[in-house]
Amino acid sequence: MENALLIGLTRQMTLKREMALVANNLANMNTTGFKAEQPLFEEYLMPVARDDSPNKRLSFVLDRGVQRNLADGGLKTTDNPMDFAISGDGFFKVQTPEGIRYTRNGHFQLDGTGRLVTDNGHPLLAEGDAPVFFSTEETEIEVAADGTISTELGERGKITVVAFDNPRDMKKTGNNMFETDQPEIEAEGTRIIQGALESSNVQAIEEMTRMIDVLRSYTSASKLVEQADEMKRRAIQELGGRNN
Amino acid sequence: MQSLSIAATGMMAQQLNVEVISNNIANMSTSGFKRQRAEFQDLLYQNLRRVGSASSDAGTVVPAGVQVGLGVKTGSVYRITTQGNLDNTEAPLDIAIQGRGYFRVDLPNGETAYTRAGNFSRDPNGQIVTSDGYVVQPGITIPEDAIDITINAQGQVQATLQGETEAVVVGQFDLATFANAPGLDPIGDNYFVETAASGAPNIGAPGDQGYGTLLQKFLETSNVNAVSEISSLITAQRAYEMNAKVITASDEMMSVTSNLR
Repeated sequence: MENALLIGLTRQMTLKREMALVANNLANMNTTGFKAEQPLFEEYLMPVARDDSPNKRLSFVLDRGVQRNLADGGLKTTDNPMDFAISGDGFFKVQTPEGIRYTRNGHFQLDGTGRLVTDNGHPLLAEGDAPVFFSTEETEIEVAADGTISTELGERGKITVVAFDNPRDMKKTGNNMFETDQPEIEAEGTRIIQGALESSNVQAIEEMTRMIDVLRSYTSASKLVEQADEMKRRAIQELGGRNN
Repeated sequence: MQSLSIAATGMMAQQLNVEVISNNIANMSTSGFKRQRAEFQDLLYQNLRRVGSASSDAGTVVPAGVQVGLGVKTGSVYRITTQGNLDNTEAPLDIAIQGRGYFRVDLPNGETAYTRAGNFSRDPNGQIVTSDGYVVQPGITIPEDAIDITINAQGQVQATLQGETEAVVVGQFDLATFANAPGLDPIGDNYFVETAASGAPNIGAPGDQGYGTLLQKFLETSNVNAVSEISSLITAQRAYEMNAKVITASDEMMSVTSNLR
């Protein structure tokens, strides 16, 4: 009897979490380099107490994981020479106080010392894990498709683009950054596009339909709980009623 | 409901986005204005099931954990300092900078401000001042009987005096550049002041490597591109609406729950 309530509850819990994911995707619709996520549900089969039980096997819902859509987002041109987009599978490497982080957000700027940094002031790492510095005489900064930076003073290093065997396994840490223990491998077939940023790959229509779906599923799961409750109430009233 | 507060962060971000875009559009005809762009970042992630944690004692690990993000925040609103177009005004003291430099201006409080808006005039003493009457450094005085002023690309100011055939040099403009010009702090009226992010100014003459050259009788227009602003505005507005829809849907879910009993 309680099982109907609990099964309904597992569904509602997972739906609430799915709604949070949909909300996060939509909130980050305009976040540079953001990758949309959706939950993966799994059936959890409850082992029955006895083999010859007349009961059917019960199954609950579990959220097993979050699947990240790693497709490239669209390119948005900004005409800012310090904005870079990566076309293909790869990440920029950034040194933060917490350690190396990876990002697809190619919006960088110079700090007061002429170093190329992210919005939060963390330096971008170029070849040899060294930050990129520009002097004040360098006004024309050109970045080639392979990441080679050149200015009036000649070649100034090469932006590293790294890839991973299993990019879905990376952990998001906020600020458009990812963290992973996996060894870096050389990115293949990637191109850096200067003066553009990769927009978020959230598909608004998909998220809106998912939102409606979540809402309706939640309502019906809640109906199930309500009816199970009603059944119990009636049973108590009719069976346990006064003996007359 | 987490989704309520997540969607609220989304709405706030889009509201700021619209504010930035509207400021750009409002300043479409402001001399020397540089357009801005809001840049967003995702917020913290809640780990409900950690990626890479052991899923059995046989050494298997969770390939994709459950991470729920908590919304979006503004990373920065940065200025895109590309060159604006040049507009021919025919006024002898309208000067455009082609390149990276900034004019230096003495503020009444003794500080130095920097500007790219070169619509200058003369004050009663003949000094070259901005439209607010602040002296443009290094302080150039045009003689009262000057009938023509010529400013060349290297910033040399020459005046032709009444009754003379040869022009005389009366001053020399200089320009300031910064390691990170987008890091300057705008104080309104087209003025900027230096910050720790911009770095200290380097002073040089127009025409020096990296400073840019001057062009007399021209003004630099704003670098706002109306078409791209309007399309950004549409995106921002729709994103705002969709986040509002998430709030409605979350509200409905909560009301379903509270109506159970």
